[in-house]
Amino acid sequence: MLKFIFKRLFYGFLVIFGVLIVVFFIFHALPGDPVAMMVGQRSDVATREVIEKELGLNKPLPTQLAHYLNDVSIISLHENTDENKTRYRYTSLVNVGNNTLVIKAPYLRRSFQTNKRVDEIIFEHMEGTFWLAIAAMIFATVFGIVFGIFCALKQNTFIDHSLIIVSILGISVPSFVAAILVIWLFAVLLSDYTGLNATGQLWDTDPMTGETYLVLKNLILPAFTLGLRPLSIIVQLTRSSMLEVLTQDYIRTARAKGLKYYAIIVKHALKNALNPVITAVSGWLASLMAGAFFIEWVFNWKGLGLVAIKSVESLDFPVVMGCTLFIAMVFVFVNIVVDILYATIDPRVRLD
Amino acid sequence: MQKVILWLSIISVTVFSCKTKKSNANYKIFRYNETQGIGSLDPAFANTPPNMWAVNQIFNGLVEVDNQLAIRPSLAESWTISRDGRVYTFKLKKGVFFHDNEVFENGKGREVTAYDFVYSFKRIVDPKTESRGSWIFNGKVKTNSLGAIADDAFKAIGDYTLQITLQQPFSPFLKLLTMPYGFVVPKEAVEKYGKDFRTHPVGTGPFYFKIWNEGSTLVLLKNLNYWKTDNVGVKLPYLDGVQISFITDENMAFINFNQKKFDFLSGINESSRDMIIDHDGIIKKEFADKFKVQKLLYMNTEYIGFQLDTSKYIDKNHPILDKRIRQALNYAIDRDELITYLRNGLGIPGTAGIVPYPILFKHKIKGYYYNPQKSTELLKQAGFAKKKLHLTFYTTPPYRQIAEYLQKSWGKLGIEVKIEVNQAATHRSMADKGEIKFFRASWIGDYLDPENYLALFYGNNFAPKGPNKTHYKNSTFDNLYEEAQTQNDQDLRMENYSKMDQLMMEEAPIIVLFYDELIRLAQNNVQGLEPNAMNMLFLESVKLN
Repeated sequence: MLKFIFKRLFYGFLVIFGVLIVVFFIFHALPGDPVAMMVGQRSDVATREVIEKELGLNKPLPTQLAHYLNDVSIISLHENTDENKTRYRYTSLVNVGNNTLVIKAPYLRRSFQTNKRVDEIIFEHMEGTFWLAIAAMIFATVFGIVFGIFCALKQNTFIDHSLIIVSILGISVPSFVAAILVIWLFAVLLSDYTGLNATGQLWDTDPMTGETYLVLKNLILPAFTLGLRPLSIIVQLTRSSMLEVLTQDYIRTARAKGLKYYAIIVKHALKNALNPVITAVSGWLASLMAGAFFIEWVFNWKGLGLVAIKSVESLDFPVVMGCTLFIAMVFVFVNIVVDILYATIDPRVRLD
Repeated sequence: MQKVILWLSIISVTVFSCKTKKSNANYKIFRYNETQGIGSLDPAFANTPPNMWAVNQIFNGLVEVDNQLAIRPSLAESWTISRDGRVYTFKLKKGVFFHDNEVFENGKGREVTAYDFVYSFKRIVDPKTESRGSWIFNGKVKTNSLGAIADDAFKAIGDYTLQITLQQPFSPFLKLLTMPYGFVVPKEAVEKYGKDFRTHPVGTGPFYFKIWNEGSTLVLLKNLNYWKTDNVGVKLPYLDGVQISFITDENMAFINFNQKKFDFLSGINESSRDMIIDHDGIIKKEFADKFKVQKLLYMNTEYIGFQLDTSKYIDKNHPILDKRIRQALNYAIDRDELITYLRNGLGIPGTAGIVPYPILFKHKIKGYYYNPQKSTELLKQAGFAKKKLHLTFYTTPPYRQIAEYLQKSWGKLGIEVKIEVNQAATHRSMADKGEIKFFRASWIGDYLDPENYLALFYGNNFAPKGPNKTHYKNSTFDNLYEEAQTQNDQDLRMENYSKMDQLMMEEAPIIVLFYDELIRLAQNNVQGLEPNAMNMLFLESVKLN
């Protein structure tokens, strides 16, 4: 088990490293001048040169990459100055001449646009994405399983067919189209009845006291929209796996024993039918954490996707890179967890 | 199963119906949205309109612009300019205090002195600050023998007298000082917070900073010790606070405004524009009853630039380098029609020069009108009577519609134009580097002076280092430009500028499309929100009834 985890962590590290290199070069291959985006329409030579120097944009690309890697790396080499100390927040290990070998948390630099530390930006925006993904997943799983069982039990009836058709629609409608429809319907046309906002955050601020308070209702529409696709998939998965299980011999045995209908469905059939569903759900979670870009954009939901899209527009390299690395990390981590989970649930799967 | 469903519904009902705190309705909070987002509340970084709007509420400078665009005293009580136009001496108001903040002794705001201005200005020009506004002083204030800014360029004489010395007279200098880069900041806060002063601003303005939940909400509250009063002596501001939201999508913001979740909305997307105004530019009745609608001419000129620098071309006989072709392209556009059909009447046809004449000039200079005959004639002279002219026009996504309209107009005269659309960042860098020869652009005036627009054609301002994207160079123009900077007689100076504008337009390095107008919406209970051509937001005398 431990050996497996270490092996996967090592592969994960390689994946993240690869992502870093690819994103770095793609980003720098894009035409566009980040300094021009920072200074605005009017500037002078001096200002531009100062900024270029500060950001290291005047150096050749390989040097820039090396510097970035050094900044991100946990163990790195820096000049031992007070300025660097406050910037990197490191602990010195060994002094090498003027430089010092240090251990530190990855330094993701500061945003070009706002000058805010990127780790702070990610930390601030992570929460929104996280709760949105969780809420969407819970919604999709609960309703998906319920509808799936329902369809399986009423196989080939009108309800079964219509639910399947609706779920195909749910899989194929692009998320931003669904988002706009949902907003138009629930937050504009029916807003007087639903009381829901077209946009809004999980936390709202009381202007006079500055206190923040939870507004859960703002989570409903984005989570619903984000959950539509997984919901549809879970309905179909549950339905087919349930149908398969229901034809098994042990179900017939249970019936023959005279067990109650619900006991057969819930205790015997469902338990076995859920295996593929659970692995699918946990696999989806990672992509929901990363894939809510459109939903976050349309609902203006404060999350990683929203901030990443905005930063691409303004060529804010550190933020784009930071978000990408973070999402890659989430993916690697969740995938390892899913593999372990898979092995735990289904004894036929071995980790090695 | 039924139990589970029952529990789920009980939980969800309790969770979602738990009462969220409603802020006290007795407080007058002015709410507006900023689609572009705010990057920093530090005046040294106030280079976008959203930053400027927020910074304007928190800070003050020496002088300010009123809604009639005249310069009036702010923290300076009065000022004198020396005879040679180089030394500006400001007398400061006494008894102006910074906002109460923990950086000061006992948390009480300290009085503003001339030394604070010296500190603030030196901070702007200090390369370490990386301020976006160092250009307002660099190359203008007195320098030492090394070419750096002299120590005594900004000088405090006692607590309440400030002296700024320029290298050479620069007539629009006072106007520069109205920009946020000229605002006063306290040393204590800047030194304590460093780069994070952007989220911990302390100033002297009508509102003080309360909380900024980035990307979601920004709250400013009433400064009870604000130094300004209205004309009957009531302390300003009237509002208890300002709350700014950050909805990125303009249509979404409009929906929220419609649901009365904002008091004010600026900038309306094309798709919502049809709901508000008809094609004659008249505000629809049902809308005018529901909201206050302001149509506002502001200092933004939308134009198309040509790259004039021969060194940027492989083909040294490229048609764009021919003045007649550029003029022909100019004459081919029916600007009235463009404004009527594509902009719902928003904007004034660009039939004069680069300077938005209705705001800054008394007289209109001669630009280009719709004249297809002349266009054809010019094309013929340039040798394109039979031969077809092929060009590629570069634009950004929001201007695609206009580009397609222009394509059609040019097409009617046999000029075949291909459209390339790039994202704003890419477009801008390509135009700055001279990689694209025929591109859309716009210029929003930084301060209220034609000089700011004509700097786009000054020979020493070539892009990417300066704003001259077209690489227009004309020695007569340059001489006039330099001469005008030192002119003290404002009428003569303006005359010079209109001469320059005329001279430049004759060469047609650009096609002026229109002088922009925008729509600002407010709820009916908002009072005292005056429009101004700088498109600034002044909230100190706004009331909510």
